[in-house]
Amino acid sequence: MDSGLLKTIAEEAAGYRPVLYRMALTQLKNAAAAEDATQETLLAAIEKGASFEGRSSLRTWLFSILRFKILDVMRDQSKFKRFSAGYTGDRSESNDYEVGAIDALFDDCGCWAEPKDAWTNPHTVAERDAFFKVLESCMACLPERTSRAFLMREWLELETPEICLQLGVSPGNLRILLYRARMQLRLCMDLHWERN
Amino acid sequence: MTQRISCKDTTWLVSESRERALTQEEQQNLERHIERCPACQGASKQFEVLFSQLKHYLGNSDSKENAKD
Repeated sequence: MDSGLLKTIAEEAAGYRPVLYRMALTQLKNAAAAEDATQETLLAAIEKGASFEGRSSLRTWLFSILRFKILDVMRDQSKFKRFSAGYTGDRSESNDYEVGAIDALFDDCGCWAEPKDAWTNPHTVAERDAFFKVLESCMACLPERTSRAFLMREWLELETPEICLQLGVSPGNLRILLYRARMQLRLCMDLHWERN
Repeated sequence: MTQRISCKDTTWLVSESRERALTQEEQQNLERHIERCPACQGASKQFEVLFSQLKHYLGNSDSKENAKD
């Protein structure tokens, strides 16, 4: 790969630093560790620039590098953590997923209060970019713990027992956190994503 | 034995199915409800688009091989 193209990748990658850092900080809860993971991701992107063939977008590629960096740090951390047993045993094990914002979507019988239009998958690059832009702001609006749990599951693809250990929540509470995240994201996208 | 579930229960099962395989009964309840509920047909299509786009956004779809050392 010629040096001009590598330089472009380096410059474009640097533009993703804030979002990479935010994702890392949400998961690692430590500014120095998040900064390291971000920096290593950007360096890896520059070093391995030649293997980036534009098959995926640069952001997608950076996210997948960062994902492995975070999983590495978590694995190191959990060597210590396992001795002190993360799960502290919060009490609400029930299927109690009743919360105000979600409740308001349904009537007293649990039926949708308003009709729902099916979305169509964004097809063009421009449509997808528009969708991603709204998705990014919607994810940023999730409460911190909800977002952390959600991304551990959907991005890092950790199994639920591992997430419970990392977050110190019960399996029941984790299911509620994940449910809320999905409900909130759907609602946020429904409100803010401009569809044709 | 299947039973009638609400739209809200339907959203709960849709979320649950991301972590575990639903039981046969849950799956049937879910399918039967969606079959005759236009709002849930719309909502499940929305979740489908949300989940598939999210995978693309996060780079979990086909790009993992790129990132491995």
